[in-house]
Amino acid sequence: MIDAATVTPSRSVPVPGMPSPPLPDSGVGLLGQVEQIAAGPLAEMAGRIDQGHYPLEIMASLGRAGGLGAHLSCNGQRFDRAIGAMEAISRRCGTTGFLVWAHDVFGLYLEQSGNPALTGRFLERHASGASFGGTALSNPMKALSGIESLALRARQVPGGYRVSGTLPWVSHIAHGQYCGAIAGVEGADGSLSHEIMFVLHCRDEVQLRQCPVFSGMEGSSTWSIVLKDYFVSKDDLIADPARPFIARIKAAFILLQAGMALGVSQGSIDSIREVEPALGHVNQHLDERPDALQAELDDLRERALTLASTPFETSRDYLLEVLDARVQGSELALRASQSALLHQGARGYLMSAAPQRRIREAHFVAIVTPAIKHLRWEMARLMREEMPS
Amino acid sequence: MSDERAWKQYICRACGLIYDEEEGDPDSGLAPGTRFEDIPDDWECPLCGVTKADFEPFEKREPVEAVAIESGPRRTGVVVVGAGLAGWAAVEALRDLDRELPITLVTACDGDRYHKPELSVALSRGLDIAGLVKESAVEAASRLGVQLLVRTFVTGLSPAQRRLRTTRGTLGYTGLVLALGATPALPAALAPQHCWRVNDLAGWGGLQRRLSDGPVRVAVVGGGMIGCELAEDLARAGHAVSLLDRHRYPLASLLPENAGHRLLENQRSLGIAFRAEAQVAAIEPLASGERAVVLEDGERLVVDQVVAATGLVTEPRLARQAGLDFEHGIRVDPHTLQTSAPDVFALGDCITIDDAPCRFIEPLARQAEAIAHALLGRAHPGYAHAAPVVRLKTRGLPITLHGRPVPEGEWVILNDGPQALQMEQRLGGEVVATLQIGAARHAA
Repeated sequence: MIDAATVTPSRSVPVPGMPSPPLPDSGVGLLGQVEQIAAGPLAEMAGRIDQGHYPLEIMASLGRAGGLGAHLSCNGQRFDRAIGAMEAISRRCGTTGFLVWAHDVFGLYLEQSGNPALTGRFLERHASGASFGGTALSNPMKALSGIESLALRARQVPGGYRVSGTLPWVSHIAHGQYCGAIAGVEGADGSLSHEIMFVLHCRDEVQLRQCPVFSGMEGSSTWSIVLKDYFVSKDDLIADPARPFIARIKAAFILLQAGMALGVSQGSIDSIREVEPALGHVNQHLDERPDALQAELDDLRERALTLASTPFETSRDYLLEVLDARVQGSELALRASQSALLHQGARGYLMSAAPQRRIREAHFVAIVTPAIKHLRWEMARLMREEMPS
Repeated sequence: MSDERAWKQYICRACGLIYDEEEGDPDSGLAPGTRFEDIPDDWECPLCGVTKADFEPFEKREPVEAVAIESGPRRTGVVVVGAGLAGWAAVEALRDLDRELPITLVTACDGDRYHKPELSVALSRGLDIAGLVKESAVEAASRLGVQLLVRTFVTGLSPAQRRLRTTRGTLGYTGLVLALGATPALPAALAPQHCWRVNDLAGWGGLQRRLSDGPVRVAVVGGGMIGCELAEDLARAGHAVSLLDRHRYPLASLLPENAGHRLLENQRSLGIAFRAEAQVAAIEPLASGERAVVLEDGERLVVDQVVAATGLVTEPRLARQAGLDFEHGIRVDPHTLQTSAPDVFALGDCITIDDAPCRFIEPLARQAEAIAHALLGRAHPGYAHAAPVVRLKTRGLPITLHGRPVPEGEWVILNDGPQALQMEQRLGGEVVATLQIGAARHAA
């Protein structure tokens, strides 16, 4: 299959400005191996993944290379490497970059849970890509910011909780896989006392409902989950109550998404440069040119990697910086991907072309929780001065 | 058989795919090294399906020289951030010089125009927010031809791209004026949900609404300029005021002790209870709706409302993120008021000149004028900074201070009369500050 973006034969080039780890340890090897997978088998099947292939074989090879656990404390908490790996992957395939993000944050939930039933072998298998699962926190993240209400409700029962409700659009799941979920705990009178966060195992009893077809990123294995009295045991609890836990991991959750924005933007700039020899004479009249986009991308990468050195900081200013960098990344991905299509013209508009795929990927980056509008809502909320009532 | 000719490339006129003889097209059976003339005529472009006849030799063009264009959006005008006195002053100064310039005003507040110093005397005059607003934001914006974004927070600034990110979208600019103001500095003991701050119209309005039902007990924490002014205004409005300060007398950072005691006497005569050497440990909400101000020494003072007047700080986040020089405030050039970033200027409470903030009203118009000239490339002698005269709005005992006292200076009494006390501070033979407490001539 020919990718129209590679109008001239594509060669693997080093990513300009990719983070260079401060220590000459396994980081170089990790990013090198991830880059090999990304530029090789992943780049080849990017179009197929966009149309619906769920690339668990790629995820498994990324896991074996250490590309799914660099951010975990047990691996030195290298959020910079996790973001770097996600960028290298998203540069070739936004869908897989998204799967890596979902997988990474689930690993974070397990490790930060402090629940011995979750931090041992379960985490080990997950981080090495031996088992798979994502995050069902889109609704709860919005709910805890006051944007919408919680979809799942839990009742306390002996030994744990029973959870019911429907979660729309949960990615990187399948029967036999799992995800992190949050439910509001209902008292006898129906009022919510607090929230719990738990590992939702997609066992056979859990109904996974087909979602309507999306315009792209169909390989993200996205389903709606229907729960009826689903039992959550103590061993599956990530956090009870969930709010302090979410406050602690929120910045890290959002910051990791920077890898998707960086990668989609970098891939778009690659596509612009690919046609420069043939079309540079006319492309010079376009608004956004590759050098300026690249400079902007390099600045953003540096910003994200600086923030990545303290992922669990909880100050208001730190969270604002992470939210603003996330907006900056979404906006850059939108502009860069549109620019790539304009630079490539009709060839970029072909169904098989990377630029038109990246347009959809960039829009996904901009609307996946937290979407640009959610980020602005949240920043306005954080910046409003609190006064006595 | 050897073909020594250089490999050639051919471009598809339809889709732009390049056939490289060296690479061939193995997917359609053309081995690497297949010369274009050896390709069968029915061979199709692997991308768009046209035939060989639609290919032409690809001549590499000279690389396009990058044209030196400033990156970021073009022709977008000036963005002013902040709609306090400083922000509106900048808008007025720009509009004065240029009727056509696109100006956008971004502000976290409602943007209505009011004279901030009046907040210190408005309670005793029985005013409310409507009475303080001189011109609504919408009216001012329409009169001055300004695009207005109210209740909009600035979240990020990328000076290299000339982009300002806000909670209502990202704005490009050709020039940026930061009039961000300063923020009340609340010690950890003063939780924001328990104490009012009177640093803008909205904060004042909240307090005013809570006090409008009749006299209550109010604790003012901090006996600096704002604390003293507010305490007097509250007392004159009929409330029972306690003024708490860490020092032995009010306004201790500016006044020598004998001057401070005159002020203290005057406050006593107004019914203000001054609590000297008081350190607040916490504010506790009581079930009754009252609040207990708990002091470090264990004393508890039960009041209805607490007002914090514990000083101001400039928030560093935006400046730091944008890489602007920052030291207690945004550092600006003392003449042009440009920050360390090109085309980004700042004025008012958010700046420091020679590393000192200067949070007074008087310099704003002159700062705005210097900025407007610099932004529009007009000749201007530049802003000349001088410490403004300080006049406390303590009507019972007017206080006027010229210059700035320094801790190591020596105060000398010039005139110690029953109506007025005049002093000056000397350092190494030079007079650095003069002070007048109580003034028959200017008494309000």
